Amino acid sequence: MNRVADWARRYGALIRNAWLVDLQYRASIVLWIIWGVTEPTIALGIWWSIAGDGQVGGYARADFARYFFALMLVNQLTIAWDSWYLDRWIREGDLNYRLARPLHPAHEAVAENIAYKARSGGMILVVWLVAALVWPAVRLPLAPGRWTLTALAVLLAAAMRFFISFATGLLAFWTTRATAIMGLHGGVALFLSGRIAPLTLLPPAVAGVAALLWFPYMLAFPVNLLTGAVHGTAAVLHGFAGQLVWLGLWVGAYQLAWTRGLRRYGAVGG
Amino acid sequence: MPPAITAEQLSKTFRVKVRDPGLRGALEALLRPRYRDVHAVREVTFRIDPGEIVAFLGPNGAGKTTTLKMLAGLLYPTSGRVEVAGFVPWGGGPEFKRRIALVLGNRQQLVWDLPPEETFLLNRAIYEIAPAAYRERLAELVTLLELGDVLDKPVRQLSLGERMKCELAAALLHHPPILFLDEPTLGLDVTAQEAIRRFLTEYRDRHGATVLLTSHYMQDVTALARRVLIINRGRLLYDGALDALVARIARTKRLELVLGGDDGVTAEALAAFGEVKSFRFPNAVLEVPREEAAATSARLLAALPVADLSIEDPPIEDVIRQAFTRGVQEDDS
Amino acid sequence: MMFRVPRSAFRVLAALWRLNLAEELQYRANFVASVLGTVFWIGTALLTLALFFRHTTRLGGWDYWEVVVLLGVFNALTGVIEAVLRPGIGRLASEVRNGGLDLVLAKPVDAQGFVSFRRLDVWHLTDVVLGLGLAGYALSRLGRVPGVLQLAAFVVALAAAGIVVYAIWVALMSLAFWFVSVENLSVLFDAVYEGARYPVTAYPGALRFVFVYLLPIAWTTTIPTSALTGRLGPEIAVAAAAVAALAFVLARLLWRAALRRYTGASG
Repeated sequence: MNRVADWARRYGALIRNAWLVDLQYRASIVLWIIWGVTEPTIALGIWWSIAGDGQVGGYARADFARYFFALMLVNQLTIAWDSWYLDRWIREGDLNYRLARPLHPAHEAVAENIAYKARSGGMILVVWLVAALVWPAVRLPLAPGRWTLTALAVLLAAAMRFFISFATGLLAFWTTRATAIMGLHGGVALFLSGRIAPLTLLPPAVAGVAALLWFPYMLAFPVNLLTGAVHGTAAVLHGFAGQLVWLGLWVGAYQLAWTRGLRRYGAVGG
Repeated sequence: MPPAITAEQLSKTFRVKVRDPGLRGALEALLRPRYRDVHAVREVTFRIDPGEIVAFLGPNGAGKTTTLKMLAGLLYPTSGRVEVAGFVPWGGGPEFKRRIALVLGNRQQLVWDLPPEETFLLNRAIYEIAPAAYRERLAELVTLLELGDVLDKPVRQLSLGERMKCELAAALLHHPPILFLDEPTLGLDVTAQEAIRRFLTEYRDRHGATVLLTSHYMQDVTALARRVLIINRGRLLYDGALDALVARIARTKRLELVLGGDDGVTAEALAAFGEVKSFRFPNAVLEVPREEAAATSARLLAALPVADLSIEDPPIEDVIRQAFTRGVQEDDS
Repeated sequence: MMFRVPRSAFRVLAALWRLNLAEELQYRANFVASVLGTVFWIGTALLTLALFFRHTTRLGGWDYWEVVVLLGVFNALTGVIEAVLRPGIGRLASEVRNGGLDLVLAKPVDAQGFVSFRRLDVWHLTDVVLGLGLAGYALSRLGRVPGVLQLAAFVVALAAAGIVVYAIWVALMSLAFWFVSVENLSVLFDAVYEGARYPVTAYPGALRFVFVYLLPIAWTTTIPTSALTGRLGPEIAVAAAAVAALAFVLARLLWRAALRRYTGASG
């Protein structure tokens, strides 16, 4: 029990610290959120114009609106910037003092993620609520079951994206282009995770490839849970199973990169 | 000859946001920002003649850099008058800027990945230096700064001292009559510091340049500047010769003894003459009131087996520290 | 007075870019990475278009190859941004914070010009070449050969687009003097410029109004492309030049106000 209290205290301090730093840079954070809002807004604008008064692949204008608002929220709640931080820590030697502390550096990263997501997710929710007041198309039913399941899926997706970002950032032990690799991953995810369009609008072959990879579980699955596009026990279970399998694999990848990378760091030096 | 630098009743006030520490303070600052006026420089007046080297002293945040920036035309004074090289710095434009050099010890203008000569060529274009003059000045600077073998190495491979020498060279290619140097020896080792000091004196002697520098290293000050300006909390506390400052502030003198004979002298015996600063046979340092220094020396020579005795001023660092804490009053000594 | 460009400015520019070239040549791997990156991002943009056109035949009234011409123009402008603006004026915010700007202000040069054009990351100019190549290819697929007048209008409109983009950067970066803690002002540009990927006619009315009149994004890609494909008459070049001039003057005024604030001249 004592250990739980210890960790709670540690995380409390880490999150508080992250919040304070963020408050110093609150204007910067507002800018990142604006950036996070414009991409789905522009995609929505385009689909809105394509859909016209009809439907595209079963999506009418209002469906697109709900999809991209849900996407905006889920994306802010699951996004992970850790590869950029790690790349800098490794290149500039900031990792050294973090390694010298009796606390795995990943905990600091997790705390930062919690602080960031609490704030940016909250801000997007406010944006959404205001939009819903004047625009019935983006209203979602307050079904507790659906929101609970979505929360769980968002948690798993956030964990997976964290480990993807962290593991990719660790590539900085070997290459100076770790962030570029993360950028490429983001480019592929644009399509396969559903950022540019609902996955059902992709060519069937591409959608088939996506289904074999981790991308849909990063975003599309929780988004579709929230909008109600995924429903029925079998589909929901299938989604959660996919999330768990890919989360496990990425945790493994992270562990491999961490142990190998540290060994290399120790041998070569910063 | 008109002065090179004139500052009259120069003041600068900044408005800053006040914030209490902690989460609450941050939130409060977000909702109800409070402001406070910071008087960085208050009614500072001084004149510097051409060819003088003047050191600007003061603790961190005393207003040195703010004053320097106003003199260089980077900051607009809240009130007061400035004239540098016949120009009002603010609004002096390119003509004025070609007459000054600004070197900041913690900022570099050299391009990191390239040899320093590349940055020199850039400055040749910026300051519109004729090719012949450029070659001549570069040759001179290379000799004076002993830069012969570093010109073609990328800056990132240079030592800190070599880098600062190159910064100086880059800043002086256009032969400015006025030099503003903010901590030019910051972080350098003793040899590099000495080299920079030698260079600055030599450069002044050759070209009659006026130098105003700030430094935390007292050796810089004692070696370079006969005159110091002391500033604290924005106010000019002292303007004058370094020796006169010591005479005015230091209430004590140091008697440095080398004792002869065998170690028959004890610390207690010495303590009868003054405060024992250090004692390690045969060397001892005593501190005595300034006006009693001569008399005490005579008594010491009579009472103890003294092989050598000298009367010194206390270390300049101590004097300056006293100036900051107690101020510089015309006192009785 | 405001637009006086002394002859020495060109010598300074030549010296700066020479320096930059020497620096960049040390990292030739950047060239390969830059080209690969450009190809990848053009690829994703084309795939995005392909995805849209799976479900429609026209985007805001434009057909596929017209939008590809626009994508080429977008990419050419991106190349200019990445080669000159982001590494130059884009660093301003951090220099205001750490005092590096003081060294620039102490030099006898126009600070805005120096800060804006001090860098030329040549590798990114491949984006310009690839972008214009893509636009040319798409134009030939459209089967339209632009006349001399059209081509001239395009060149003017494209130059105007470059000036508009530059003015947006200057205006944004001037904000750094007021919001000193904001490190990532360029993100705001990225967010807004994202809208230039598609013809403004594809957006709902409110957004279109914003892009034409408030944040002049329409003038960066839609207008030059329309001039090239003949969708708009060559007289649009005059309007584009006027918009560019206005944007430039406004940005310059904002910059001056910002600098007066930095130096404390505005009280």
